[in-house]
Amino acid sequence: MDLAKALKAIRRSIWVYHLNSGSCNACDIEVLDALTPYFDVERFGIKLVGSPRHADVVLFTGPVTRESLPKVVRALKAMPRPRLLLVLGSCGVGGGIWWDTYATIGGFSKLEEILREQGVEVDRVVYVPGCPVRPEAIIYGILVLLGLAEQKVREVEVHAPGG
Amino acid sequence: MTESVSKLIEELKRLGGRVEEVKDREVYLVVGRDNLRSLAKALYSTGAYLKTCAGVDERQVQGVLSIYYIFGLDELGVDVVLRVPVTEDDAKIPTIVLEVPAADWCELEARDMVGVEITGRPVRRLVLPEDWPEGIHPLRKDFDYSARPPRRFRSELPEEVGVPLGPYHPALHEPEYFELYVDGEKVVDVVYRGFHVHRGIEKLAESPRFTYKQIPFLAERICGICGFVHSSCYVMAVERAAGIEVPERAEFIRSIVLEVERLHSHLLWLGVAAHLLGYDVGFMHAWRIREHVMVLAEYLTGSRKTYGINIIGGVRRDLNVDKLDRILKTLAKVREEFVKLVEVMLSVPQIKLRASGTGILSRSEARALSVVGPVARASGLYRDIRKDYPYFAYREVSFKVPLYTEGDNLARVLVRVEEVLESIEIIKQLVDKLPGGPVAVESWDVPPYRRAVAAIEAPRGEDVHFIITGVGKPYRWRVRAPTYQNIPALRAMLRGASLADAPLTIASIDPCFSCTDRLVVYDLRTGSRRVLRIAGGVSACPL
Repeated sequence: MDLAKALKAIRRSIWVYHLNSGSCNACDIEVLDALTPYFDVERFGIKLVGSPRHADVVLFTGPVTRESLPKVVRALKAMPRPRLLLVLGSCGVGGGIWWDTYATIGGFSKLEEILREQGVEVDRVVYVPGCPVRPEAIIYGILVLLGLAEQKVREVEVHAPGG
Repeated sequence: MTESVSKLIEELKRLGGRVEEVKDREVYLVVGRDNLRSLAKALYSTGAYLKTCAGVDERQVQGVLSIYYIFGLDELGVDVVLRVPVTEDDAKIPTIVLEVPAADWCELEARDMVGVEITGRPVRRLVLPEDWPEGIHPLRKDFDYSARPPRRFRSELPEEVGVPLGPYHPALHEPEYFELYVDGEKVVDVVYRGFHVHRGIEKLAESPRFTYKQIPFLAERICGICGFVHSSCYVMAVERAAGIEVPERAEFIRSIVLEVERLHSHLLWLGVAAHLLGYDVGFMHAWRIREHVMVLAEYLTGSRKTYGINIIGGVRRDLNVDKLDRILKTLAKVREEFVKLVEVMLSVPQIKLRASGTGILSRSEARALSVVGPVARASGLYRDIRKDYPYFAYREVSFKVPLYTEGDNLARVLVRVEEVLESIEIIKQLVDKLPGGPVAVESWDVPPYRRAVAAIEAPRGEDVHFIITGVGKPYRWRVRAPTYQNIPALRAMLRGASLADAPLTIASIDPCFSCTDRLVVYDLRTGSRRVLRIAGGVSACPL
């Protein structure tokens, strides 16, 4: 699939679906906050929809609890390609404070392996850290995901002297 | 200890209770399982309500598994805690749901988490995930907090045809799942399937990863809306158990931040309620006004949410003159805009029509189910922890507790509206009376195996934390969020109601699932009746 072409087609009208995999609500409330008058992302054509089948982008929050795992996989399967994911908050990114408990699987990186096993391909993921994530960061994250803004953080390899 | 409390203790002794410990606010009794039901009945009939019960694995210290039943006598301001010990080989405790309906969930939770069998009632798995193996109980001390039993992965679709709206429902932004069984337009029964957010917090607090000092930050992440309530309640429990005197100024600062949190939470809720009624203008305006409060919270504490200022023995950030000034200015603005919003919102005829007379919870049902917070106050129960068990600086301020007797959705809206205005007044008084001095104690020490119950009036009702101290970290930390107590009341509210009113009624208890997070699977067959399965809510509410 031509990802660049697909991204170009949706960049002025982005339908987002909010998927909470067991988060504490703080990131979820900030997602809502971004939609309401102070930040008002609807002016950019971003709109929250009620089904993953309608979604261009999934806003993913939470550390993926054991109970929610099968439902999360089913919801992501239902999403049309390209599957674009914006993973929000410390929990989504790496499991947060619950990364190793018995009741969670430990964030999106672990979920990615399960998705691969289940044959669910993800086309692009952008991680937005924060506990909770700020509304400004969510907006910036969407812009990076769609290629409308440059990512400011880069991966740098640092070698210890003599190492 | 007042005379009426002593009289009650005598009565409980006569019924077979043995007094273990008497503190200012709590009385601990040991009860044999054969006497439990009669004691529970006696307590309930004197006007007590069940705060929660907690299963504890005490094999290391006492050689037993126990369930602690915490009863609150809000008129006397005292808690009575019954401890029922049983041996591991014969871990059976009779149910008290017939005497105390509110014990339904917490008994099942103790069964799941600690492995104490509850006899005399139908049992089912409540908290643990569907595919969790039998016989593994996370809160047993020999269970490793990070053990992950193998998963049975099921991803096939369910057999029934459903409307694919749940458990992810856009209006509530949390995974939750109500099955409404309807006959035509009337709701016949309601089944709640929750506990998607069970993250193992109580176990995590006992793990080697945490110490007393770190748990306030964990407690704050129980809930992203009322997190500060949880961290305050945790530190209060530890301070009470260890006898730490908190400086007055710290208590005032905690109270101010708690009320700021209530403001943002109620405004949030009012917006969601307006949205569910199809009045999106109200939704947008409520959230616009709420943003002032969020900015204020960030200015006061350094963060929009998860404030992180609670530590054991005080707070980490002081308030200066600039901050106090900013609080008053923001409150004046919020009050002005809020009054205008409510005036407009409540004059919209559809809002009044749809909210009044729907989702009724009678006073007797409210009492039997031990509901808390605005839900109790809208059904005519005078129950507010700030008045009944004064904590922090609430003794120093005067405020009114809004009380309605209608028990419908409108009453619950009005209770919260009035509470916003009261909160603003409370903060003003606290700012005015703020004493000087330090904001935290220099050092503290927590002796092992002390117990304490702490309760705080969260925006959604009473939040209870029960703690048994251990070495370096709690031996057992039990959290009971208000929604845990209020969700069972939904069955009473929704039965016989019209389907169209269901979303608002569900939202009217202001459910917060991340706090509650502990699964209900009911096996319900409604015979030949037409059964429609609706998940999450009825309206397709795209925001």
